[in-house]
Amino acid sequence: MSDIDIKRISYLAKLKLPSEKEEFYTNSLKDIIKWVDNLKKVDTSKTEPLHNVTEKTVSIRNDEVSKSNSVDDVLSNAPERAQNFFKVPKVVE
Amino acid sequence: MKNSISQIKKALIEKKISVGELYDEYLAKAKSGNNNSFNLVIDKENNISSINYSQNRYDNGNPLPLDGIPLGIKDLFCTKGIRTTASSKILSNFIPNYESFVTQQLLNDGSIFIGKNNCDEFAMGSSNETSYFGPVINPWKSKNSQKDNLVPGGSSGGSAAAVAEGSCVASMGTDTGGSIRQPASLCGIVGLKPTFGSCSRWGIVAFASSLDQAGPLTNCVEDAAYILNSINKHDFNDSTCSNHQREDYLIDINNSLENKIKIGIPSDYLEDVSEDILNQIDNTKKALSKHGIEFVDVEFKTTEYALSTYYILAPAEASSNLARYDGVRYGVREDGESLDDIYLNSRTKGFGDEVTRRILIGAYVLSAGYYDAYYRQAQKVRRLIKNDFQRILNEVDFILTPTTPNEAFKIGDKLDPISMYKNDIYTVPTSLAGLPGISIPSGLSKNGLPLGVQFIGNYFKEKTLLQLAALAEKELSFNE
Repeated sequence: MSDIDIKRISYLAKLKLPSEKEEFYTNSLKDIIKWVDNLKKVDTSKTEPLHNVTEKTVSIRNDEVSKSNSVDDVLSNAPERAQNFFKVPKVVE
Repeated sequence: MKNSISQIKKALIEKKISVGELYDEYLAKAKSGNNNSFNLVIDKENNISSINYSQNRYDNGNPLPLDGIPLGIKDLFCTKGIRTTASSKILSNFIPNYESFVTQQLLNDGSIFIGKNNCDEFAMGSSNETSYFGPVINPWKSKNSQKDNLVPGGSSGGSAAAVAEGSCVASMGTDTGGSIRQPASLCGIVGLKPTFGSCSRWGIVAFASSLDQAGPLTNCVEDAAYILNSINKHDFNDSTCSNHQREDYLIDINNSLENKIKIGIPSDYLEDVSEDILNQIDNTKKALSKHGIEFVDVEFKTTEYALSTYYILAPAEASSNLARYDGVRYGVREDGESLDDIYLNSRTKGFGDEVTRRILIGAYVLSAGYYDAYYRQAQKVRRLIKNDFQRILNEVDFILTPTTPNEAFKIGDKLDPISMYKNDIYTVPTSLAGLPGISIPSGLSKNGLPLGVQFIGNYFKEKTLLQLAALAEKELSFNE
């Protein structure tokens, strides 16, 4: 097992761990990754990955337009809105 | 014994109690409860029109299947106009403007929601200690240490405690790796996880989409059949929801199973278990043997890989599902100077320790360089686990296992995540295989705490699974 680069992983997950917690999470992850490492000894050379366990059940509706949420519904939980938009700090200069 | 749905309906039909009085009775218990089993309780005036409509239907002699029944709903189901938090800080202000498919079916059938049950944050936990609103307390106490507060199990711990303390008739829970069955077992009630793909996941706050499944926590097996009849329907809004014909689970539930039944007991599950747990299996075996049911030993080849597989796949799916919490569209926003700061601050302050840990595990096993070794390998081993169950279910009709490896433990006792994860050793394999499982109370431990056994059936065979569970329940007479 390679070392855990906690800064990189938390960046990927859009989390900013406080520095005093970095070690806690690093150790925790190390323990868990070591614990799940036993899967590596399973021979899966002839096995396909399983995505949907009941496999044959997938059902897809016809592509027909239906009326659902209104703009107000969608924005009703927004922390900040401006007219019909979610409001965030300026992204482009 | 607490009243079952059919007993309550009988009292309502015979006008021994009104829908409003029934609601008052449960509401008083929900409000005075000391177990923190609800994140939110709904006052009578906010349900008054549903109560009145329900009473009218009784008065007119045409009540709906769940008419007037006060239900708890795990705070993971979106309920229209009612705060839905997933027991997380990040959703602590979220009021959905739509109703989940499953809860809509329960409303259509006349039931009345008494409140939202506490649970582990985003359903990640086995003890209900990760909730932002504090731990739930198990209504049961050890006879040797009455003062100690015990965990109710998790993640549907509030649901299980509420049913056990009698503050709702039944509760809707969700199960990803054991979150219905494990708390049901630790609280001495019934918990059913249907086949993956039975009940729509639409409107349930997502944790691990290939595993999440809704199901009831109830006082008895018959109540589970009542609820399953209501919620087990096809829904196009969940593309993994199966489009097959559902059965009536209530009819014939107390009739003996038609064919000769063979039940497998996995010997590898019973290595190193305590006497308390072995007793549950022995008692169940004894109780059912007199009905001509045959028991045989079976052995899984993949059990030792189940937890590892689960703790790669579930966090991977969670890290992806929880990417939606960004502080922009809904949920709690923490300020930041840039958009990126808003993302980082909202997520870092909004998620608790266990959720953060699982997002990090998920991000790790999905990241470049590790994806094939962990995530893809786990998906392959998942197929081997499924094949292992299919091999055994070709030999036997059902599988009998303990539900949990131990009785309810003290709040704060298990601090190390791996020892917590091991609580789900008997429930996780079934979840990975997508099979239905039901936990029923089977007896008490030496400390006087409830324990349960789990029956596992074949895909979409909930009807015979419930018939078997009803028979075992009658013979074990835990509630009497």
